[in-house]
Amino acid sequence: MSAQKKRNFKIEAFKHRVDLDPKYAEKTWKVLEHAIHEIYNHNASGLSFEELYRNAYNMVLHKHGEKLYSGLVTTMTWHLKEISQSIEAAQGDLFLEELNRKWGEHTKALQMIRDILMYMDRTFVTSSRKTPVYELGLNLWRDNIIRSSKIQDRQLNTILELIHKERTGEVINRGLMRNITKMLMNLGTSVYQEDFEKPFLDVSASFYSGESQQFIECCDCGEYLKKAERRLNEEMERVSQYLDAKTEPKITCVVEKEMIANHMKQLVHMENSGLVNMLVDDRYEDLSRMYNLFGRVTEGHRLIRDLMTSHLRETGKQLVTDPERLKDPVDFVQRLLDEKDKYDKIIATAFNNDKAFQNALNSSFEYFINLNSRSPEFISLYVNEKLHKNLKGVNEEDVEIVLDKVMMLFRYLQEKDIFEKYYKQHLAKRLLSGKTVSDDAERSLIVKLKTECGYQFTCKLEGMFTDMKTSQDTMQGFYASQGFEAGECPTLAVQVLTTGSWPTQSSAACNLPAEILGVCDKFRAYYLGTHSGRRLTWQTNMGTADLKATFANGQKHELNVSTYQMCVLLLFNSADRLSCKEIEQATVIPSQDLKRCLQSLACVRGKNVLRKDPMSKDIAEDDIFSVNDKFTSKFFKIKIGTVIAQKESEPEKQETRQQVEEDRKPQIEAAIIRVMKARRVADYNNIVMEVTKQLQLRFLPNPVVIKKRIESLIEREFLERDEGDRKLYRYLA
Amino acid sequence: MASGRGRIRFNVGGKIFETTATTLANAGRHSMLGALLDDSWNPRQTVEGEAAANAEYFIDRSPACFAVLLDLLRTGELHVPPNMPEKLLYREALFYGLLDQVRAALWGPFDGNRLQLVDSVSGRAPGDGTAIRAGPDGGCCVAHGSMVHVYDWMLEEHRPISLDYQQVNDVGYIDAESIVITARERLGKGDGGMGVFSSSTGELRHRFRVSHYDQVKSFTAGALSFGSSDYKIFASCKGRCNEYGIGVWDQITGQQADFFYEPPGCSLGDADKLQWLDGDKCLMVATLFPRTDNCFIGLLDFRDKGVIWSWSDAGTSVSLSLDEKRVLHAIAIEDSRSICVVNQYDDLGFIDLRSNAGGVRWSSRSKLTNRKAPNEESCYPKLATHNGQLFSSMNDGISVFCGPEWVLTSTLRRSYGGSICDFSIGGDRLFALHSEENVFDVWETPPSRFI
Repeated sequence: MSAQKKRNFKIEAFKHRVDLDPKYAEKTWKVLEHAIHEIYNHNASGLSFEELYRNAYNMVLHKHGEKLYSGLVTTMTWHLKEISQSIEAAQGDLFLEELNRKWGEHTKALQMIRDILMYMDRTFVTSSRKTPVYELGLNLWRDNIIRSSKIQDRQLNTILELIHKERTGEVINRGLMRNITKMLMNLGTSVYQEDFEKPFLDVSASFYSGESQQFIECCDCGEYLKKAERRLNEEMERVSQYLDAKTEPKITCVVEKEMIANHMKQLVHMENSGLVNMLVDDRYEDLSRMYNLFGRVTEGHRLIRDLMTSHLRETGKQLVTDPERLKDPVDFVQRLLDEKDKYDKIIATAFNNDKAFQNALNSSFEYFINLNSRSPEFISLYVNEKLHKNLKGVNEEDVEIVLDKVMMLFRYLQEKDIFEKYYKQHLAKRLLSGKTVSDDAERSLIVKLKTECGYQFTCKLEGMFTDMKTSQDTMQGFYASQGFEAGECPTLAVQVLTTGSWPTQSSAACNLPAEILGVCDKFRAYYLGTHSGRRLTWQTNMGTADLKATFANGQKHELNVSTYQMCVLLLFNSADRLSCKEIEQATVIPSQDLKRCLQSLACVRGKNVLRKDPMSKDIAEDDIFSVNDKFTSKFFKIKIGTVIAQKESEPEKQETRQQVEEDRKPQIEAAIIRVMKARRVADYNNIVMEVTKQLQLRFLPNPVVIKKRIESLIEREFLERDEGDRKLYRYLA
Repeated sequence: MASGRGRIRFNVGGKIFETTATTLANAGRHSMLGALLDDSWNPRQTVEGEAAANAEYFIDRSPACFAVLLDLLRTGELHVPPNMPEKLLYREALFYGLLDQVRAALWGPFDGNRLQLVDSVSGRAPGDGTAIRAGPDGGCCVAHGSMVHVYDWMLEEHRPISLDYQQVNDVGYIDAESIVITARERLGKGDGGMGVFSSSTGELRHRFRVSHYDQVKSFTAGALSFGSSDYKIFASCKGRCNEYGIGVWDQITGQQADFFYEPPGCSLGDADKLQWLDGDKCLMVATLFPRTDNCFIGLLDFRDKGVIWSWSDAGTSVSLSLDEKRVLHAIAIEDSRSICVVNQYDDLGFIDLRSNAGGVRWSSRSKLTNRKAPNEESCYPKLATHNGQLFSSMNDGISVFCGPEWVLTSTLRRSYGGSICDFSIGGDRLFALHSEENVFDVWETPPSRFI
């Protein structure tokens, strides 16, 4: 028997877990670390993406994500330190290029590393809230390169230096600049702003503050603006070429502040080339440039506007108060219109039709036109001149343009009622003398006045036109009723004028010659027969007559004369010589008018159908007149005008003014009553304000006058003063 | 064998696949296949074009799954063979970085009328569920007592979030990674309140604080709402010293941004439902189960701290009878300027937001035919809206209403699990939690296919 060897059973512990190679993580990481090194050393061609991806995948799967991530940070940081040294070593101009080159390499490597670690990015990074690989690479670059003490300042200074070079006209490598700024942008907006934009703006500010100082010392205003505009465009182009678009408003703001805002007062007031000179010389291009540049800064346009206004007021004031100008009203108005045209054109071409500028222009005109109290009269005279003769042969559109311009001046007038007064007089003369050129033009102006000032303003003017029309009809009716009988008498043309519509001229009727008187009586009988309850008076001072005259040498002429002149001439049918006094007695023409009338018949060359003895310009009571036998003229028709002053004489002016003041009284009173009727109680200031508002379409009432009217109304017991408060007025009804 | 232009050959786990660059472009540059073919990893390709085209890419993965995913890239459709577990496929898709494509092929944009039941997931927690919330990426979380169970879009359960026996009141997603939980304060402990947890690890990331007059106070947080445009979180809060109201925090910093103290007559701290209205920039607060006061629904404007609209049943509850219609849930529909409510008979009602005095206009058209007395097992009905469709849960089904008149167009129902105690729509999915058994249903819209 063999001794059985007892064997001890050895129970081995149950291996319930198959451990991975404990060095697995370390080994795998070594592979990946090596790959990252190779990628940075441009040696990636030997690497298998699939293998690396799988290794990274396995590490994350086996919960070594943390190790992988921290390993990545260490390795990448190590490489970036290397890179930083090589960038630091680059000399001079090569510095930026080296930085750019390394940046390119780093982003390329970073992309490949991200590819390998894609699985970690998707799983470990999101669940543990870490920074994704690519972003991590950018952050490490920012901290180790861009913000390292040896690179940060150098990079900034190099960039700023290059930009300075470009500003002084050198050509720089814009592509490189674009890459560098793009890199800063990629690292985050805050990096771009802090590491580049802010210092860039500071440097730019000091550059432009120096340059603008230099420019302003040696350039005139136009030249300076040209340079500023060019600088502004350069900066915008720079932004579009190699900076971030968001920098544009910031850098333009710097240029605007340094080159425009800080110097604009100096610029507009610059001697010999400032704003005033530009305006005077119509330098549209410079003005437009100034408008555009100043528009970029606050208060810029206002500065231009204020200076333009004060200049306009100054020149306008000179224009309207120059005694030389007052001699020729038509020229006076023409100059105003020219001035207006000039500024309209400036505003349209250079100031972009800016409403604020137009308003400034209007208020300036309003200001200085009303400085001269004769402006309304002159404007009316201008219209008279235009509608009288100057518009002959001009087409309708041009007429409209002239009328529109006149209306524009009219709008500036404060005393529109004075204009109305004169306009009525002038229109009456035009209508009665049949000298108005175009009925359409006349009516068109009235329509314009109506739209501007309302029905009341023009109803009398329209009445004048109606009178002219009905007169025509009346005359036709008159001749139809007289039959052939009329042929034996002088032909009569009567214009029946409504009292009130026409400017009343209180003149005593003269004695009409017997031949005329007969026809006149027939007409009076006819007219009163057709219209009951009317009264006819003859306005002999406004008529005209055509006379056939045969002179001693057998020459026949047709004389076109005024009614007064006719009366005088017909006297010579029965007498050879008459003294001035005799004529006055026979005709009862007011002596002032008679003198003018005789002057025109005897003293004007070529039209002297009477001879005066003695031959002098002035008419004396004892002067003797006779028919001028030696009168010759190559014309058959001869128009003998009356010597009348075109402008009003000084006393006439005073008279008109007084009349206007008189007319205003009831208007002011009516306005006061309207106000008080609505308010019942109001204080003095309020009344003045409201009344002024109501009347300003016609004229600007003087507060003193309003005060007087109030007193008058109190006297007539329309109003009373409040017993407690003397400033208050009450309406009594 | 002449390989044509753009042809690419793979050797996956020993099996050869051949495909084209165009097909692979569907994977995108930010996928494993996109990176594999990128020029930076194939430097020779440009030099020796022909040779590289014949090269073979080796991938050490399962060929079966690769075939399915390659088919997905070719056709945009996903056909999983019956013997292949879905989880396996998802794992492979994650490896290749193709999960987004897989997810898009699995279900389409949400449409209440085309929903299909795709899964019913049983949880292990005992007791009734409190709430279910859909995540933005197709996952969901279920609150049970003091636990919140988190599921990702593959319906795989993550580590549950445990609140140390504090009762969870409400949950919500800030994003797919972050879940906000409100919890009841336990007396004497000074805990409770509200925190952000990681959905993948279940860790507490941040606790929201409430301070009154610069003093941090403990509180019980109730209903939650998220402002979409300004990254705010709203929660109804009950402090211990009558500091009732609505707290506002910043989603990014986590700091308290505002506090709307409860004005008299409006109960805010007890609110059951908060809803941020983006168009009106105000918050709807509904307190429907008040302890003392009346039901209250109001719109709060935080800019000037005003209640700009409110409704209350104070007037109507004089005749207290069992038949009385009680508002049990409410939801604001901004497009139709109204608030939709539901009562114990599952009637829908509407309150006009444009007038302040209007009452509830109960809708007869949506009334259910089989009106039964509220039975012992039924749950309170819930409401939700999505893309102009209105959803209402009742007993064991969910009704879908559409159009301006809110016509009933679909009903979602399944046979077991008991009545639905809560449901939620998000990530193009609808999740319905049942009360009797701890099970929730997942409804999806099938992707639109050609043919």
